[in-house]
Amino acid sequence: MTGPTDGPSWPQSPPGTGPSWPQGRGDDGARRTSPLVVLVHTATFRQARQLVPMLIPVAAITGLDDGATTVVVLAVAITVLSLAAAALSWWRFSYADGPTAVVVTRGLLARSVRTVPNDRIRGVEVETPPLHRLLGLVRVRIDAAAGSVGPGEEEVVVDGVPRAEGDRLRTHLLARRPAPAPRAETAAGGAPAPSEEEFARFDNRWLLYAPLVGSYLVVPLAAVGALFRFVDELPDSVLPDLDGPDLSDVRVLVLAGVVGLVLLVAGSVLGAALVNWGFRLVRRDGSLVAVRGLLTRRHTELEIDRIRGGTLSEGLGMRLVGAARVNALVTGLGQANRRGQLLPLGPREEARALLRRLVEDPGPLLHHPPAARRRRILRAVAAGLLVTALGGVVTATSGGWWVLVAGGVLAALGVPVGLGRYAALGHRAGPRSFTVRSGWLVREQAVLQRRAVVGWRVRQSPFQRRAGLATVVACVGAGSGGYAAVDVAAADVAGFTANASGSWARTLAPR
Amino acid sequence: MLPDPPSPVRDPAWPLSRSAIGLWVAEGVLGALVYGVLTAAFVLFVPPAGPVPVLRWLLPVLVVAYAVVAIGVRPWIRYRVHRWEVTDEAVYTLTGWLTRTWVLVPVSRIQTVDVTRGVLQQAFGLATVAVLTASSQGTVRVPHLEADVARRVADDLARRAELVRDEAT
Repeated sequence: MTGPTDGPSWPQSPPGTGPSWPQGRGDDGARRTSPLVVLVHTATFRQARQLVPMLIPVAAITGLDDGATTVVVLAVAITVLSLAAAALSWWRFSYADGPTAVVVTRGLLARSVRTVPNDRIRGVEVETPPLHRLLGLVRVRIDAAAGSVGPGEEEVVVDGVPRAEGDRLRTHLLARRPAPAPRAETAAGGAPAPSEEEFARFDNRWLLYAPLVGSYLVVPLAAVGALFRFVDELPDSVLPDLDGPDLSDVRVLVLAGVVGLVLLVAGSVLGAALVNWGFRLVRRDGSLVAVRGLLTRRHTELEIDRIRGGTLSEGLGMRLVGAARVNALVTGLGQANRRGQLLPLGPREEARALLRRLVEDPGPLLHHPPAARRRRILRAVAAGLLVTALGGVVTATSGGWWVLVAGGVLAALGVPVGLGRYAALGHRAGPRSFTVRSGWLVREQAVLQRRAVVGWRVRQSPFQRRAGLATVVACVGAGSGGYAAVDVAAADVAGFTANASGSWARTLAPR
Repeated sequence: MLPDPPSPVRDPAWPLSRSAIGLWVAEGVLGALVYGVLTAAFVLFVPPAGPVPVLRWLLPVLVVAYAVVAIGVRPWIRYRVHRWEVTDEAVYTLTGWLTRTWVLVPVSRIQTVDVTRGVLQQAFGLATVAVLTASSQGTVRVPHLEADVARRVADDLARRAELVRDEAT
């Protein structure tokens, strides 16, 4: 394969370097995905989707009318195109998992070769969309933390290998030290490992929490949006000629509201069920394995060695019913929210227990000084006060009073928000771990191991300086990169940092 | 002006090179020039009965205020605030002028050390040392060191990080 090597954006390695360069179909380990995947991609128009924008002007030029034959011709043409595209990309795709690196070769005209060293692989996810499941295939996503060229390219996807090969690939890639005979593991791939311990199991009653969780509420709304777009694009002749309902009738409006609410609730529960059905988290040797999904089964594996802590997040609605979710903070894990999810939704107690198994509990949170409460309230009220002041000017000049009232209401609402924000604040350093908590719309508590800290960042604005407060951010090579204890008493900063990380943090202690 | 309340943490030991003041003044002058030109264009080319007549005098006032602060005040406050220190175990900086930020990174968690020299920095013989860790927020920047000091610091840190690196995460 010495084709043109000016591939679009992937790192190129010259032919002949690397032990696992796939040279055609030689016996050096280059593998192909299953040909069955061509069927899957044809059915889903995976490749042909890109061609649709090109087809539209063609159709316009040839002056197609709306006859039935045209529709059939178009459908056939698209299917054939799709089949061809899928077959081509299958033919040009190969992967090789060598002892040191994974090499993926692809591209129709410009060949692109991507090499991911094995020790850079942070996670492997095996997922099974419904069509794949019919044909006994899986899709393997390899999360390569380093070497991503652009955003969204930190993954290498091997789409459409048989289930056994997917499991083999996963076990091979995650056995970090170069195994003596990687190929010999093939048979053991599907066999359950000796020690297995269940950490969490999804109880279907927990689906009832879904309507109170923002992210699940979005699902039905998005579905409605998609439906409207679809109806919009249908030709008028297809749509039945309906009279609009009489909107002046209050009963109709109320009925519509109730129906909409019921649909929203049902949709969010359904969405949560689709994603989380049969969720199970088990510890298997050195990994945490999460399995979930109703239609698309996802199988995610996290190395326990790389877990530095976890977050417990509770949204506003979730707090009402005592629900929470738990994410693991894993070093170098891309898309931490989706991959690191250890408990997608569950009772708070369950979530806390799970987090305690992950990281030692540092003890109850310490509250922040009263100055922090004043600061939170002031900040929450500030916008309202600004509007009120503006309203005062408006009232004085043109006599409009409603801006003034709106500002007052906004400011009044700011008080409980500020109090809520203050109530969320807390920090605590334990013997081997520490925790910080903040947030009101989504209250997030991060519990981290001492070794997770790669640095401290202390920030003090002029206002904080006057109030004797400071914000301390623990810099962590996992999750969002930093977890902040907001508005800690300035005198406590040095003590907290020294207790929450290694001896090097004593540098911060005032002399 | 009130006396500063005590810092929440110890301040690093070493001040920056005095040339940094010159550099900040130069930056202030350039910034003021850019805003000045934009404002002059606005006043000249937008007709007097334009959208918001207040802007015709408000913008020049703002530009003058900015110039006074950025050229006459900020560089000196910055110089007084900015400090840095490299200890046996860690790199430690204090930056900012109104809001102050202390950053501490242990040598054992350093992943890469960069030295960068911007165009203006070259004119003043300065360089910035950036120490990167696995965390996006755990980056220490020691701005505006003398170029040879910066190079020595970077070499020293890179060598020591190599020696003591533990699970660099």
